[in-house]
Amino acid sequence: MNVLNLFTGFSEVIVEVAVALTPLLIIFLLSQVFFLKLPANKVINILTGFLLTYVGLVLFFQGVHIGFYPTGEQIGMILGAGDTRWTLIPIGFVLGLAVVFAEPAVRVLTYEAEKASGGYIPQKVMLYTLSLGVAASIALAMARTLWGISLWYFIIPGYLLAFIMAHFSKDNFVAIAFDSGGAATGPMTVTFIMAIAIGVATVMEGRNPLLEGFGLVTLVALAPILTVLGLGLLYDRKEKALKRQLDEVE
Amino acid sequence: MARIKEVVLEVFYAIAPIVGIITILQFTLIRMPAQYFLQFLIGAVMLSMGLVLFLLGAHMGFLPFGELIGTNLPRLGKVWLFVLFGFLLGFVVTVAEPDVRVLATQVDVVSGNQVSKNLLIYSVSLGVAFFVGLAMLRVILNIPLKYLLYAGYAIVFLLAAFTPAYFVPVGFDAGGVTTGPMTVPFIVALGVGISSVLGGRDPSTDGFGFVALASIGPILAVLLLGVI
Repeated sequence: MNVLNLFTGFSEVIVEVAVALTPLLIIFLLSQVFFLKLPANKVINILTGFLLTYVGLVLFFQGVHIGFYPTGEQIGMILGAGDTRWTLIPIGFVLGLAVVFAEPAVRVLTYEAEKASGGYIPQKVMLYTLSLGVAASIALAMARTLWGISLWYFIIPGYLLAFIMAHFSKDNFVAIAFDSGGAATGPMTVTFIMAIAIGVATVMEGRNPLLEGFGLVTLVALAPILTVLGLGLLYDRKEKALKRQLDEVE
Repeated sequence: MARIKEVVLEVFYAIAPIVGIITILQFTLIRMPAQYFLQFLIGAVMLSMGLVLFLLGAHMGFLPFGELIGTNLPRLGKVWLFVLFGFLLGFVVTVAEPDVRVLATQVDVVSGNQVSKNLLIYSVSLGVAFFVGLAMLRVILNIPLKYLLYAGYAIVFLLAAFTPAYFVPVGFDAGGVTTGPMTVPFIVALGVGISSVLGGRDPSTDGFGFVALASIGPILAVLLLGVI
């Protein structure tokens, strides 16, 4: 067996993360000097936070670099080359469920939607609908890669539907819905599931990974928008019907 | 200590299911070379430790900083400062956003260095910066969010029709990844801050819609790269 390549490119990652965090650090220091003027112990706390973030990001990127990205691509290439490539669709669905259930941002979103609807959209209903939506999106994205369907066939109807629903929705619901586009696209989606799609598109004849490998995040970002708006409209109608009934009784 | 336990559990729940599914698949369907599978497991451990440290660090460093900016800017009483800070922070936070970096690396590799990682990261960050600034202006000028969303996406689709086809998936993907663990808390903190300055508005609804606008910026930026 080959030697494990755990530290390939490690020095580049160390430099890259430092470069990535420096601008934010500079803005913090400038704000501190000019108007924040925090006491020393708070500044030390925040700087310690920066340091932890730095070390964390280095480990994160190295893990992606040596583990998740190559493995994801490898899985895509193995499955994409075999006769069982259709299994990518159910596998995508299951991975989608796993990703969305674990995403903390999703829990924040379901809470916000419940609050904004005055409790009409229960968190559980939202979570289940959203999970199915994201799982279906990833399954669709895999199917798209397998059959080489243009992204246009997904984004035009998707966004058209979103805007039609937005037109009939309350303003605060539109804001929550479009804010939540990124809620389900956590680190697992980008580092791992996308790598699988790219692997498939790389190995299959006639597929261009730039065209059919990317686009998965796009579909995953559409799912929460459509879910929030759709549930909002559905429950809005229920609310109005209930009011009408109450009025008639009176 | 309670915070550490919470963060460790959060990361564990996020990563364990994926590792579990891949382990089952490895022994049934995939059967990739052992070296890949081992690297995957070790990578998962590194990535988990990295995420734990990152989230802990963010709770100590970034998030309090974002909130401090949001609460201290109103004291200066100058509304245009929000536009400036929206722009600056939008830029520097996106440069540091892990998901953006991962996407950019993949685009760089897949395109054979035709679209370099740094070019993509900096254009996406400029896109976010511009739109966070715009989102601040929107609140100041009291423009309904819907109009800006319609206009923004209309331009997006128009540009997408003219840009080379392979920029379209990457562009829309970039819109989805910018709203990660770094960007969102910063933008929301600024949004709540500006609503409190302007007064008479409901911060709970004005605070919304910033992220929605911020995710249009990167799509436009990448599509523009294609047109140029």
